[in-house]
Amino acid sequence: MDRREFCRFVGACTIVGCAGSLAGCARLLDWSSADTRAAVRELKPSRPVPSTSESEAVETSGSTEPTSEPSAAPPDLASFVGDDPGANVRAAVGALGGMARFVRSGDLVVVKPNVVVARAPEFAVTTNPFVVAEIVKMAFEAGAKDVVVLDRPTGAVRNAFEVSGIAAAVAQAGGRVKYVADRDFANTTIPDGLVLKSWPILSDVFNADVFINVPIAKTHGMAGLTMSMKNLMGILGGSRGQIHQDFDQKIVDVNSLVRPHLVVLDAYRILVRNGPTGGDLGDVETPKTCIAGTDPVAVDSLGTSLFGMKPSDLAYLVNAADRGLGVTDLSKLTVLRGKS
Amino acid sequence: MSADITPTPAGEATDEPKAPQAPDRRRPGIHRIRRVSQVLFLALFLTLLTLTVWPLGQVFLGAFLLADPLIALDSIVGEVWKPAMALAGLMILLPLVAGRAFCGYACPTGALLEWTTPKLKPEKPGLPKRFRRSRVPARARAVLRKAPPFVLIASGASLLFASSAYLWLDPIATVTRTATVLLYPLLDRFARLVADVAYLAAPLQPLVDSVNGVLTGRIVFAHPLTFGLTGLVFGWAVLLVGLNWLEPRFWCRHICPLGALLGTVGRAAVFGRRVDAEACIHCGRCEQICPLDAVRENHLATDTTRCQMCMDCADVCPTAAIGTSVRPAREDYSPGRRALFGASGLALLGGFLAYTGLARFERDVHLVRPPGAAGDASVLELCTRCGQCMKVCPTNVIQPSFTKAGPEGVFTPEMDYRVGFCDWSCNECGKVCPTGAIMPLALEAKRQTKIGRAYIDKNRCIPWADYKTCLVCQELCPVPQKAIAFTEVEIVNPDGLTVKLGRPEVVADRCIGCGVCENACPVVHESAITVRAIEAERSS
Repeated sequence: MDRREFCRFVGACTIVGCAGSLAGCARLLDWSSADTRAAVRELKPSRPVPSTSESEAVETSGSTEPTSEPSAAPPDLASFVGDDPGANVRAAVGALGGMARFVRSGDLVVVKPNVVVARAPEFAVTTNPFVVAEIVKMAFEAGAKDVVVLDRPTGAVRNAFEVSGIAAAVAQAGGRVKYVADRDFANTTIPDGLVLKSWPILSDVFNADVFINVPIAKTHGMAGLTMSMKNLMGILGGSRGQIHQDFDQKIVDVNSLVRPHLVVLDAYRILVRNGPTGGDLGDVETPKTCIAGTDPVAVDSLGTSLFGMKPSDLAYLVNAADRGLGVTDLSKLTVLRGKS
Repeated sequence: MSADITPTPAGEATDEPKAPQAPDRRRPGIHRIRRVSQVLFLALFLTLLTLTVWPLGQVFLGAFLLADPLIALDSIVGEVWKPAMALAGLMILLPLVAGRAFCGYACPTGALLEWTTPKLKPEKPGLPKRFRRSRVPARARAVLRKAPPFVLIASGASLLFASSAYLWLDPIATVTRTATVLLYPLLDRFARLVADVAYLAAPLQPLVDSVNGVLTGRIVFAHPLTFGLTGLVFGWAVLLVGLNWLEPRFWCRHICPLGALLGTVGRAAVFGRRVDAEACIHCGRCEQICPLDAVRENHLATDTTRCQMCMDCADVCPTAAIGTSVRPAREDYSPGRRALFGASGLALLGGFLAYTGLARFERDVHLVRPPGAAGDASVLELCTRCGQCMKVCPTNVIQPSFTKAGPEGVFTPEMDYRVGFCDWSCNECGKVCPTGAIMPLALEAKRQTKIGRAYIDKNRCIPWADYKTCLVCQELCPVPQKAIAFTEVEIVNPDGLTVKLGRPEVVADRCIGCGVCENACPVVHESAITVRAIEAERSS
């Protein structure tokens, strides 16, 4: 065996070895995922609401001053109207105590907008890119180490993120879009689930220090309206079709496990008919509103008013309130309204 | 002999022709240039094909297909004109200068077939490796040598009678098809697997995410890329490579219609191989090494319909008698006039019978063509079977057809909604089609182009058959006013309970046949909503 032959032999062995070990790993991955029982996981606990003195400190560090008096405890909900979608978000989150209430230095922040299909932002099908970008910026200002924006679109993934303008907006704000893959979902137990006892859920949500839900408000054929609670269906893996049976109950089940630290409802443009995928500018209205809160049920309850509806019109809101997941009775909530 | 370019330093061998001495050193020059050129063209081809993804940029993709004169002819007969056909015009004139140089220097298929031909050890170290001459019996060889004109005649008849099925044989279409169906799905799986394994190491996760971010929608797709007819395409590739065993580059030599076309033009090449008759000792090494069978018993002459100007013959010539010059000595195996007329007649008859419908085919109702395909006949007439539309499709819905369009339609594009659906934001298939079998449509026009119509099977649809809520089809219907309407009903189910649910129905006027509904339908096995071709009305 001369040198050349030896090199060839070693090369061939290396290739075969690598291929074999990769295949082995693939089998192991397969077995391990088949074998695992649903993991029990929870989101990282919310940070305590800052006391008055702290919140003052917070607000001096925040950039825009909200129109609330800083001495009071933060309101349950903040709803801001204005021509600039980014400024609305900043004002609404500022009213809740600023992003610093939720995000601490060195945090990993995961943001979940609604990027269901590839539609330009003006069709009000996907979350406004300025809203997403503003949240990314605010998270970085509050000291976040990394801000990851993710969703599981129904069709071609890159098309959805690029056409919706979210990919560009997030990149410009310094965050990163993560195109999720099968490996990012882990079978997870939903302890309080009535219909959905366990399902593959995006691990990133549980790994994050702060999980921010940034839905857009629009109509939905099955659920009535899709806002923050329905938006969480996008962190589910598995078969999309199967999840749509007994849909309202499943929405509530998922929300019983995953309780985002912050919910920012984008209602700058809303889709009032032919949701959730729309496509006709005639179906779009522009309330130019942003609603922020920490209770998804409350945020969605206030959101129904944008469509001239009541919380009781949505089965999943009623169900969620019955199960103690949040408050639908707006009279029991402090709502701070303002213009940005 | 001043025009000769002899690659050796002026030879001592010419002085002693009776005692040939092989040069003991392989001379650099044309040999190396050719190898570099082959590698560069193959790399360029693969780069362009890899970049053929949504969204298409300004890069001149598909240049190889557009430069293919056979494909351009196909378009012209179908009355489709594209500015890029100027490239093909250039290509067809090139052989007038240097014969089939394209086959030796640029053709990706030619390069791959050359590299996969088994080689013998060189006679002496330093010389190029030799090919085995042939395993084909002499009589069969004599027939094969006359094959190219007949391949051209058969292609021409197919072309005239409105079938582009002959492009199955086109080398550029073949290599594009093979890469699309075999290479990219493999790359997808490989990248996915490597990422899955690397993801087990937590520190590597951000890196994997960022690489995945670049590859998603380009190499790695939401659902692993998958194509039908992999067996057929793989078998075809194995056949082409396997034929090398019979004779080196068997397919290039005798069957390739592009080679035959270029060779026919190249008969009149002004520039070519030239042998110094005084220096030649008739050792036959040139005949033995010629990869395209262009040098035969008369070593002084060259078959200019075959010579690819690789000059391997000059490298092995012991007397350095071989060089290049203008007006090479021509020798070719022209088939007899009678045979040519006979073959033409047969081909025309065959084409005529196929065209006028010797066999009975009924359009399959499930054969839905991509938007921009102007009807089934025009797909069969124009499609190059190259698979670029399948490569660019971001949802993988465009699949090769097998039997639905008859034997002619094998590998023409069809929509398989179990795999994907026509994305509202994409119109790339029409842009990459080199012939206009799929016409380029503006995005707005594509969104209004009806390619099929959805029908609901109410015996299996969940709200109709099972009395349960489900509206996935309506939810995802991309048509602005929704082509699925649903009516709220209160109905008593078989258990005697009154249930309230929405039942979907298709609004035919609005449905464009994009197939999102069929793709998303949660009913197991076959979807309860399926898209049928709109052009396939029953004839009775």
